[in-house]
Amino acid sequence: MKTLATLFSVLIIFAVNGQKPEELIPQEAISVFSLNNINLLQKISLDELVQYEFMEEIQQEIFDGSTAQKTIKESGIDFNQKLNIFIGRTANYDVTGLTFGIENRKEFFTVFDDFKSAKSPYPEVDIYTSYFNRIAISGNSGILFRVIPKDFRVTAITDSIWEALGHTPEWYNEESFTEYELEVISEELTIEEAFEEAEHNPSEKTYLELRDSVDLSMQEKTVKAICDDLFIHKNMLINQSPEFKNQLKSATEGTFYMDNSKGFQNENTFDFMRSVHPQIYTQFEKLYTGNLMLGSIHILDHEIQFKLDAQYGEKIGAVYEELTDAKFDKNILPYIHQNNQAFFTYNLNLRNAYEKVTEILLPILSESKSREIAALVLVVELMDEYLNKDALFASYKGSLFGTFNGIQKIKTKKFIWEYDEENYDYTEQEVEAEEDMPIFVVGFSTDRNDIMYKIMKFNSQFYSETHDMGEYYMIDNAILNTAPLYIINKNNLFIYTNDENLAKTHSNGYGDASITKKKIKKAMKGGAVYAHVDLSKAVEELPEELFNTQQNQIVNVLRGKSGVFELTSSKTSNTGTTFSMNYKFEGEYTNSGTYLLDLINSLYVISK
Amino acid sequence: MRFLQFIFAILSAVLLTGCVEIIDDLTLNSDGSGCFKYNVNLSSSKIKINSILALDSLDGKRVPSLDEMKQKITSLHEKLKLQPGISNAKLEADYTNFIFKFSCDFASIEDLQYAIKLIAISENKGKPIPELDHKWLIFSGTHLERSVPKITLKKSKQITAKDQLKLKEGTYTSITRFDKEIRAFNNDSAKLSTNKKAIMLRTDTYSLVQNPRLLDNLIDLKQ
Repeated sequence: MKTLATLFSVLIIFAVNGQKPEELIPQEAISVFSLNNINLLQKISLDELVQYEFMEEIQQEIFDGSTAQKTIKESGIDFNQKLNIFIGRTANYDVTGLTFGIENRKEFFTVFDDFKSAKSPYPEVDIYTSYFNRIAISGNSGILFRVIPKDFRVTAITDSIWEALGHTPEWYNEESFTEYELEVISEELTIEEAFEEAEHNPSEKTYLELRDSVDLSMQEKTVKAICDDLFIHKNMLINQSPEFKNQLKSATEGTFYMDNSKGFQNENTFDFMRSVHPQIYTQFEKLYTGNLMLGSIHILDHEIQFKLDAQYGEKIGAVYEELTDAKFDKNILPYIHQNNQAFFTYNLNLRNAYEKVTEILLPILSESKSREIAALVLVVELMDEYLNKDALFASYKGSLFGTFNGIQKIKTKKFIWEYDEENYDYTEQEVEAEEDMPIFVVGFSTDRNDIMYKIMKFNSQFYSETHDMGEYYMIDNAILNTAPLYIINKNNLFIYTNDENLAKTHSNGYGDASITKKKIKKAMKGGAVYAHVDLSKAVEELPEELFNTQQNQIVNVLRGKSGVFELTSSKTSNTGTTFSMNYKFEGEYTNSGTYLLDLINSLYVISK
Repeated sequence: MRFLQFIFAILSAVLLTGCVEIIDDLTLNSDGSGCFKYNVNLSSSKIKINSILALDSLDGKRVPSLDEMKQKITSLHEKLKLQPGISNAKLEADYTNFIFKFSCDFASIEDLQYAIKLIAISENKGKPIPELDHKWLIFSGTHLERSVPKITLKKSKQITAKDQLKLKEGTYTSITRFDKEIRAFNNDSAKLSTNKKAIMLRTDTYSLVQNPRLLDNLIDLKQ
């Protein structure tokens, strides 16, 4: 009986004091990915897992040899609890991390072996640290997180201390490094070199050392504030956001939460408005209130469905409603080839949106006592009176389409050296060459081809690189200084393409080779946005060089996979829009977990 | 080391664009003076280079702007012009077709090597680079020993299959010319010109990255 009583006591203590993983998400979180069914991840190796961006950033120092040949199942994580990945942002710092259930602490710390136990000021909470990372464990739930103070805040505080110590401001120092040089040096400074520099004057901190101290101090202070909120004041996201709390009840495999209004509040680009025009800022803040993205992930056989409800405040919603009040432009159909590898359509009504924006914003701006803002309002009002809005918005209505037609060889010139066998002297020869080029078509709807014609006529008369070819225009070397760009201005469309075949022989469209109405039915009947990508065709061929690092992170996870990705949207109301992403994959696949992680990673990269 | 790393980073980026053609062309007179030419031809990868230059970063590394590249190349050229024993330093840079031709005359092979070493050290913020203590050219008037410094480059295991293919498309040609006929040489891959006064070594850039010593050669001239 005594043993049973003890056991019950322990269980009660856990029930009272132990928090669930979702109860450890800090209130600063702006985006949260919650995985309800993490059983899907059991077979994924830890080494594979840490390749993902969302894991790398948090745990770059953690995963070393301790993860070799282990799966997530062997990491001590409790698969009956939710796994939450969060990104938080405030005006002063970013905080990223994971919350999870722990089944076996011994196994857990075999993987997270770099963490050392630290003194915990919170009852029933254990704290562990490793470099800049922290783990806090309450009951059977844990949070692993990292705080990154905003660079400009660290610099501002460091500068202030530096000057107070009687030093010349660092920005004034002629020998101070440029941002790029600093980046290179900090990347490549070896330990020996760092010591060498420190030996210069060991009793006094250099500017960079002082900056490091400020950074560290800000981190410590913030970590304490976050832990106080989580373990003492109970100010965590789940208690702050009823929408998030409600979303966690979803029976789907995963959920996604993103609070755009918090993103707005913490966006540093609004600092000026916040301090100089606080009343206007408050009005804008109200506009963004209720701006949330709530997503759910469903995993079916060979299919992942991601549904995203974008919720708006009433006024912003009214703008989106007007913006998307546009019909599908059937004129684009002939210009989408039936064998395209990817295409998108975007139906917008800029005229309506303009009217709604001015209706909402001008009264807010007019309240300002500031001369500059009043002048801005006057300029907008005068332009509104004098401009021919009919002509302007008929020229560019807002609707767009784009297609990717794969990689084709295009003709270019190259130089080679030819050698004389007599003495190996060499001469330069210009010869024909071929290079791979992604072929695209991008166009927008217009009711005023006549106005676009006037612009193109001027360009072809006065710019030598622009040629009027009758049915189309050609601009020399406009694509990467190497290939021509073709412009087609007809049929209520203004089209840019590097597809020579489309411009020269199909300027009225691909004819029978165009996409069928059946294939584009969803785009025609849906909301503002539609995208279709045949992964097996499109992604493999996309050259890495065309994308920046962030874009490549998204593209790379799709490489080597087959299937069809489709994005649709509902009609927009003044309270929201629903976006649906369907990813149907074919052939053999190891498990859905990999596809799920790919999706999470892409969302993470996009929402960073 | 920072300078070497920078050079290797640039070299890797250039070599991995594929279809790079590089010629090093050394003319040696009997008195040890001569002319050195270094040509890099990337004209068959214009699209790739332009697309890389349009990016802020690639593989997590910052991509320098065209202006920064121009400044760096011009600054290296200006520095070389000032080195003792170096004259007539010329640079032809075609940033449309990405063809770069550099040439200079030197009073002695030691001057050429010393000049290159000084510039490298200056780019390395004055810190010595032990790898450059190696004499890669030793000439006695009738005997030339050409060897590449021992440099640790990425081994094949670290180069992805895709990058290996790109590297294999590139070529590296090393030409050494003399005012006398060549009597013998020890590199089996080398080819003698018809007039016997020039010798050429050609390899693909992948093989060169794997084994820089492919260009090593001992050359004996007729008296």
